[in-house]
Amino acid sequence: MNDHGRLCAEVRGVLERAVHAYGDRPETRERLCGQLERLDGPLRIAIAGKVKAGKSTLLNALVGEQIAPTDAGECTRVVTWYRDGHSPRMLMYPRGRPPVGIPVDRRDGALVIDLQGLPAQDLDRLVVDWPSQSLRTATLIDTPGIASLSAGVARRTVRFLNPEDDTPTEADAVLYLMRHLHACDAEFLAAFRDQGVARAASVNTVAVISRADEIGGGRVDAMESARAVAARYRQEPVLRGLCQNVVAVAGLLAQTARTLRHTEFVGLTRLAAASREELEAALLTADRFVAADGPLARAVPDLPAAQRRALLARFGVFGLRVSTALIRERGADPAELAAELLRCSGLDELQAVLHHQFAQRRDVLKARSALLALDGVLRDVPCAQSGPLTAAVERIFADAHEFAELRLLSALRSGSVALPRALVGEAERLLGDAGAAPAVRLGLPAETAPGERRVAALEALVRWQDHAENPMLGRAAADACRAVVRTCEGLLSHG
Amino acid sequence: MAPPVPVQAVDFALATIERYGRRDLEARLRQARHRLLDEQVRVLVVGEFKQGKSLLVNGLVSAPVCPVYDDIATAVPTVVRYGATPQVTLVRMAGGAVPGGDGSELRSEPVEVPIEELADHVAGHVSESGNPGNRQRLSAVEVAIPRDVLAGGLVVVDTPGVGGLNSVHGAATMAALPTADAVLLVSDASQEYTAPELEFLRQAVMLCPNVACVLTKTDLYPEWRRIAELDQAHLKAARLDTELLAVSGVVRWQAVLTGDAELDGESGFPALERFLRERVVGQADLLARRSTVLDVVAVTDQLRGSLRAEQQAQQDPRSVRELIGRLTEAQHNAAALKERSARWQHTLNDGIGDLNADIDHDLRDRMREIIRLAEDEITEGGDPTKTWEQISAWVEQQVATATSTNFVWATQRARWLAQQVAGHFAEDREAILPVLRTESSDALSAVRPMVIRENEPWGIGQKALTAVRGSYMGVLMFGMMSTMVGLSLVNPFSLAAGVLLGGKTISDEKRRVVARRQNEARTSVRRYVDDVIFQVGKDSRDMLRVVQRDLRDHFTAQADQMNRSLQEALRATEKSVNASKAERERRLTEIAGELERLTTLQQQVRTLVPSAIQAAAQKNPTQKDAPRNDPGKATAISAS
Repeated sequence: MNDHGRLCAEVRGVLERAVHAYGDRPETRERLCGQLERLDGPLRIAIAGKVKAGKSTLLNALVGEQIAPTDAGECTRVVTWYRDGHSPRMLMYPRGRPPVGIPVDRRDGALVIDLQGLPAQDLDRLVVDWPSQSLRTATLIDTPGIASLSAGVARRTVRFLNPEDDTPTEADAVLYLMRHLHACDAEFLAAFRDQGVARAASVNTVAVISRADEIGGGRVDAMESARAVAARYRQEPVLRGLCQNVVAVAGLLAQTARTLRHTEFVGLTRLAAASREELEAALLTADRFVAADGPLARAVPDLPAAQRRALLARFGVFGLRVSTALIRERGADPAELAAELLRCSGLDELQAVLHHQFAQRRDVLKARSALLALDGVLRDVPCAQSGPLTAAVERIFADAHEFAELRLLSALRSGSVALPRALVGEAERLLGDAGAAPAVRLGLPAETAPGERRVAALEALVRWQDHAENPMLGRAAADACRAVVRTCEGLLSHG
Repeated sequence: MAPPVPVQAVDFALATIERYGRRDLEARLRQARHRLLDEQVRVLVVGEFKQGKSLLVNGLVSAPVCPVYDDIATAVPTVVRYGATPQVTLVRMAGGAVPGGDGSELRSEPVEVPIEELADHVAGHVSESGNPGNRQRLSAVEVAIPRDVLAGGLVVVDTPGVGGLNSVHGAATMAALPTADAVLLVSDASQEYTAPELEFLRQAVMLCPNVACVLTKTDLYPEWRRIAELDQAHLKAARLDTELLAVSGVVRWQAVLTGDAELDGESGFPALERFLRERVVGQADLLARRSTVLDVVAVTDQLRGSLRAEQQAQQDPRSVRELIGRLTEAQHNAAALKERSARWQHTLNDGIGDLNADIDHDLRDRMREIIRLAEDEITEGGDPTKTWEQISAWVEQQVATATSTNFVWATQRARWLAQQVAGHFAEDREAILPVLRTESSDALSAVRPMVIRENEPWGIGQKALTAVRGSYMGVLMFGMMSTMVGLSLVNPFSLAAGVLLGGKTISDEKRRVVARRQNEARTSVRRYVDDVIFQVGKDSRDMLRVVQRDLRDHFTAQADQMNRSLQEALRATEKSVNASKAERERRLTEIAGELERLTTLQQQVRTLVPSAIQAAAQKNPTQKDAPRNDPGKATAISAS
């Protein structure tokens, strides 16, 4: 939308003025320049969650390459940024010191992160530059797990996403991974929301039920079960106020599907040749499947135990069941198998959600982050220009209808503004809950003709004008209706 | 079923001592017998939610007792015990409706349920969906099933997961720990231990003698051995000496269905069963045997003491005077033990007094902190009606945690006090301790919930009225002033003043409403916490009073028995002074025979406990108690 471009330009203008005004203070200037850079850069999505929620695995799945190291034990100990770059490069940022480069080394595809003897708590962050199409649209930030046994590790994540002082968080949006809804998940999300961020953080958080295949114990219908759980969480009042959406994803399967190798496909084909009963009996436990001598080793003699172990590590019990079934019943070829596994893993769904809820809104999210940062600077470090600059920031905040939309959306979701039940759904859709594209907002198919869209927008406008004038609604509700009316007007003028 | 061996031993001892007509000693043995028959071994299965606790319980008893779902978690504890037929009993919380209820529980009539339908039937009561928010107000569901594993008095308790959205469960689980004989901490093989789990373990080992860690779902995770190693490293780092058992509920279930022994071995359950049998049931059994031995030996020693004194007097009439002197002194001491002024009585009374004060202070201190935090939150949070749900839930959870910590502490202190009192008696301290009845307070369910009035009349009408009131004053004031300069009463200036004042009145009124609501919220929190302090304080005082009474009765009975034994000895000795030689001879052979019989009884009973353990058990207390110079020491039968 052009509006978003305008918003970004305005924010950039104010930031540039501020950089100029703080010309004599290099430190503050640096901070502001960082914000300017961030405004031009891709959206920053942080991946957070409890220990072993599968954060690094999901990151690999999103990138489509196995770059972040993963392990059965606790693995990620430093906040690590993965961003697009011309050539692979790793930089380490010790606290309060200039960055240090580390040699890029990969083992089985995954990066080997050698902190060169520095203790993890002394590091602010690691930055990995990696040439990748997926990273071009979004910088991904891997964080250490919350509720980790090493308290320091957990603290680093909380400090990163939810700093104690007033500086806004570094991430524009957050993917929150959880295995089941746990009290400390809700607590964390709530803390994240309370953090100033214009009181609207729930609009930039998506909860992910990760390791979804394990919920159903790796049965063939495990993902259906996990999706049902996600649907229930979506309705859970506690979560509704805390995040935009809940998606179930089988991270390991998604990662494997995006990086499927030919040798693995060959191995799977051999497995699929064994009878269904034999395979089921072997898949009863992970130990049986990898046993060097057992019924399976006799049934599939050309697949040594080491290869079976590797397959299990890459696919998981659920992935093996699904892919052998696909090969046996549909005779899938590697490309089909990868596509089908990807669909099955729920990554498609997550990417669609990311696209609709983050990517289309990214200018707004970025502009908001930048304005908040600037606001913080102006309050902390006053200068001659503070007055006019603060006024400019406030004017943008008040003017830009996008912010009003975000705020209202968040208020509606958390229930602090109550509209009649019948209206909430439509209001959320019009405000861009499901996606910012005009057709999506109006609830029409994407290919609807512009004329039809105008008609729909006009109808919505009239309807909401009526609602706004309904004397039975409270003031807050009437204000909300007026904000929706303005959204409809915007749709009409653009549509 | 024949009674267990210790019970047979007690029966035998009872039969042997019947002829002495010592009702007090017989009562002591009867009590021991009753305790033995009543004995249960409670095993708590705890852990975070969705770790496979219910499946573990099902696997242990080889029956579908606890419902297992992908999504829905257990909300009410399920108690699985032995029963000849499958039965389900619902245990309701009592006192919820009647404030200050006596804390007893209401049990429904047992319902017979076919074993295949057990899980579905139980699910209607214990799962989050069947009984959301525990609306049925159940404190537990008891299931009795005919399984050999449970026949030895083993009771398995499936608890709701700790740390779910409603973590009041965590506090409840903690409060149940002191009554458990063993705790199984369940954690699945998907990840190593988290900080809360280790913290829980740390507390559990302090409160419960047997704690084991169970790693579940090993079928699903190829890396479970790595996780097991990591967990063991964590346990070692935390200096926790607990066993780690890896099991797979799914495989066990498959084995139960197919009867495949090899599969059963693979599931890891045999090791868990062995742990329960040898360590938990075995240890409980050993304790039972040891206490039986100690009881029987103590009783027969008292009888033997009397007989020996008489024997000595009969053999050597010249020493009778000296003997009588010694016995009189000992008896005097034993009688003094019964007096209110005895030193153990002081220790007990002072101890309970201190304990009461400390526990009460601790509770109040914790509650004050909660009130302070809640009030800060309310003061800073604007209109409290919007955040009331979160605030009240937070307060409830904090209060639950605080009361359970307070209770755990009280239990520990009470146990310690009991040992201190026992120290005044010269016997094995552990053995003569009575079972302390420390049941956790159920007061929280009896406390009225926190409420604030949600919908005060502050609608359009109210606002309009307030605005009119304000603007009327404004118009009147400024109108009157302006009439002095020749304008009419209603003129643009007075109207403007009216509008301004009207607006100001509205905003003032609004601020006042918010302030009033905040006050109301604060009062509500205070009242709730006050209620809790009142109820929980009363319960903990009651608990301590029960402990005091139990200890007093127990130790008074002990003193009585000693006193009586010494009196008997004294009487027999005095009688021997006047006896003829022939009588003496006859009596001496009688005494020798009886002593022989009692010694045989003692030897036989001692075989109940393996000799090595017994030697260790006997060695320790003597070392511990030897240097003490307490009045209790003199009561060890002097003649022996």
